[in-house]
Amino acid sequence: MNLMSHLIAGFPDAETSIAIADALVKGGANILEIQLAFSDPSADGPAIQTASTIALDKGYSTKQGLEIVRKIHERHPETPIYIMTYGSLAFTPGIENFVKMCKDAGVSACIIPDLPFDGDEGLTEACKKHGLENIPVAAPSMTKKRLEMMASKGFKYIYAALRAGTTGSETTIDQATLDFIDTVGKGGAKVLGGFGIRNGEQSKVLSKHVYAVVAGSVFVNIVLNNADTAEGRAKAIAEIEAKAKEIAGK
Amino acid sequence: MTHATITPTPQSAVGATSHLTTSDNGFFDKFGGKYVAEIIRRPLDDLEAAFNKYIHDPEFLEELRIIQRDYIGRETPLYFAPTATELLGGAQIYIKLEGLANTGAHKINNAIGQCLLAKKMGKTRIIAETGAGQHGLATAAACAKLGLECVVYMGEVDVRRQQPNVATMEMYGAKVVPVTSGARTLKDAVNEAMRDWATNFKNTHYVLGSALGPAPFPDIVRTFQSIIGEEVKRQAAERNIDIAAVVACVGGGSNSIGVFTPFIEDKNVRLIGAEAGGIGPNKGENAARMTGNASREGILQGYKSRFLIDEDGQSLPTRSISAGLDYMGIGPQLAALGESGRVEFTAILDKEALEAVKFFARNEGILFALESAHAGAAAMKIAKELPKDKALVINMSGRGDKDIFITSPVFRPEKWKEFLKAELKRLENNEDIHDAEIMTRK
Repeated sequence: MNLMSHLIAGFPDAETSIAIADALVKGGANILEIQLAFSDPSADGPAIQTASTIALDKGYSTKQGLEIVRKIHERHPETPIYIMTYGSLAFTPGIENFVKMCKDAGVSACIIPDLPFDGDEGLTEACKKHGLENIPVAAPSMTKKRLEMMASKGFKYIYAALRAGTTGSETTIDQATLDFIDTVGKGGAKVLGGFGIRNGEQSKVLSKHVYAVVAGSVFVNIVLNNADTAEGRAKAIAEIEAKAKEIAGK
Repeated sequence: MTHATITPTPQSAVGATSHLTTSDNGFFDKFGGKYVAEIIRRPLDDLEAAFNKYIHDPEFLEELRIIQRDYIGRETPLYFAPTATELLGGAQIYIKLEGLANTGAHKINNAIGQCLLAKKMGKTRIIAETGAGQHGLATAAACAKLGLECVVYMGEVDVRRQQPNVATMEMYGAKVVPVTSGARTLKDAVNEAMRDWATNFKNTHYVLGSALGPAPFPDIVRTFQSIIGEEVKRQAAERNIDIAAVVACVGGGSNSIGVFTPFIEDKNVRLIGAEAGGIGPNKGENAARMTGNASREGILQGYKSRFLIDEDGQSLPTRSISAGLDYMGIGPQLAALGESGRVEFTAILDKEALEAVKFFARNEGILFALESAHAGAAAMKIAKELPKDKALVINMSGRGDKDIFITSPVFRPEKWKEFLKAELKRLENNEDIHDAEIMTRK
C-alpha cells in the first residue's frame, strides 16, 4: 500500500518535526506531505489550525519551513515530498519564485487547495517548468461537469478529499465515495485519497481503490496531545511510528 | 458570469457596466476572484446562480422592497447638519443616517437581502461572521423575522469588546460561537464560518457581511447595500443639493461601496474612504490597507486584494478602536477603485474618531458608531477644502449606542467605573433594581 502521511514543518518544533518525518517513513509512509504553516488555514480543521498556530508562534517563516523540508529530504532522498500550503504563501513571494524555492528544498509536488485548477495564477505552469507536479484537490461536492474538467486536465496526481467538509472527521467508504474516486481518476490521474483516515481498517478498504492513502490529522493529533514535554514528544514519535505501521498495514 | 447590475429598489438606477462598478466574472480589474478550495466551490456557484435569478425576479424584489420600507425603516434620512457646517467652515455637511435603520446600522440591508435569498434557495440555517457585532446582530434579527436558524461566529476578542451586541444577538435567538483560533478577531470568524459552510452547505447559507470574500459575495453585498447611495442621490436631487464629496468608513467596505456605487461614474463627486489608522503608522498599529506601509497585494480568504500581510503572506495583527474596521483585507472592488484613483483613502487615528464622536454628539445630537466616526473625522478634515455652496455627505453607517462600553471609559472614566462596580455588586447580591435604587436614594 502507498501511504502519504502528513506533518507540519516546525510543529511542534524543527527538531521534532524532523523526527516525526523519520517515524512516518520508518512506519511505512512512502510519500511525505509536508505542510507549511499558514495563519488562516480555512480548508483545514481545528487540529491542523492549532498546530499551524504553534509553528507560527515559534517564528517559522517559509524559508525556515523549507529548510526543515530540505533536511528531511536529505535524510530520506528516496521518499517524495509534497508541499501542502495555501495560495497566500505561494502568491506573495511570486508563484514561480515559490516553486523554485520548493524545488531547491527537494520538493516534488505542490498541493495548494485555494489556487483552483482553472485559475491557479500560473502554478501548474511554474511547476512544469521546474519539474514539479501541481496536485489539485477534488471534493465530492463538485459538480460532475467540474470534476470531469479537472480529471481531464492531464494532472499526474489528484488529491481526492473524501468528505464534504474539512480535515479531521471520520470517513465512511460508501458507494458514492467509490464513484467519486472513479471519476477523479477517469483522465488517468493517480488518486491520492484521504481526509479523516483514523485506522488500519479504513486504509485497508480504501487502498484497493486509490493510488495512495492519505492520513494527516491522525498524526497531528498524536503530537498535539503530547507536545508540551520532551518525554511527551518522544512518546508521540513512538506512537506515530506505530500508527503509521497500522495504517500502512505493516 | 456575475453581472449584477440591478439594485433591488424600483427607484434605483440600473448600474453602469464598467469593470469598476460591477465585476467581470468575479474580478474588478486584477482584484477579486474565487480563490477557494473545491469543498467551498459548489455552494458559491449555487449561490451565484440563485442570486442572478432572484435579483431579476419582480416578486422577490417587491417582497424585499416592502421589508426595506416596513421593517428596516427605509428610506433613512439625509440630515443637514447646520452647526457642524458652521463650525467646520466649508462645505454644507449632510449626514446619511443609516444608524436609524432597524438594528442600528446599514448591515441589515445586506442581511435581509441575503436571508430572503437563502429562504428562496430552500436553506433553513444561516451562519454569519461578525466583528463589531453589527452584522451578526442584523443577521440574527433577519433570521428571527424570517424564521431561520442562526449561528454567528465571533472572535473571542470581539465578544469581549462588543458584549452588548452579543447579548442582543442572543435575545434574537441566535447562537453566538466565540472563535478561539488564530488572532481571535474578525478574520478568524470568517475562517470558522467558511469551515461550517463547507460541511453544512446543503441546508445552510453563509451570510457574509462585507463586500469581500470569494465571488459572488462582493457583487451580492454591493447590490444589497447600493440602496444607501441610490437614496442619497434621489434625496439630493429632490432637494437640489449639489454633492461635491461623499465620505464613508472602510473596513471590508460594505457601507462605503453601498454609498459610493451610484456615484462612481459621476466624476464630479469625490469619493473618500476612511480607514482605521489605529494608534499610528507602524506594523500592527492600524488596519490601513490602502494608505499604510505594511500593506501588499495578496490572496487570502478567497479573494485577491490588498492585505496587511508579511513578506511570506502570513496575516499581520491589526489594531483599531473600532472592531468593525479591525480587519486585514479590503473589498476587491474598493481596492481596484483605490488603485485607479477613483476613490481616495485616508487613515483616521483612534483618537480622531473619538473626537468626531464627541463633536457630532454635542453639536448635532447624533451619536456616531466608532466605525462611522472615522468617516466623520475625515469629513472634519476636508470640509474646508470644499466650496460652501456644495455638499459633503457623510455616511453614518451605524449609531454609537453599542460602543458605550468603549466610549464611556474614555469620556467619563470615574462615573463609569462607579456604575460598573455598583452594578456588579447588585447582581452578586441578587438585588432587584428597584430595591437597589431605593438604597441609593437613602
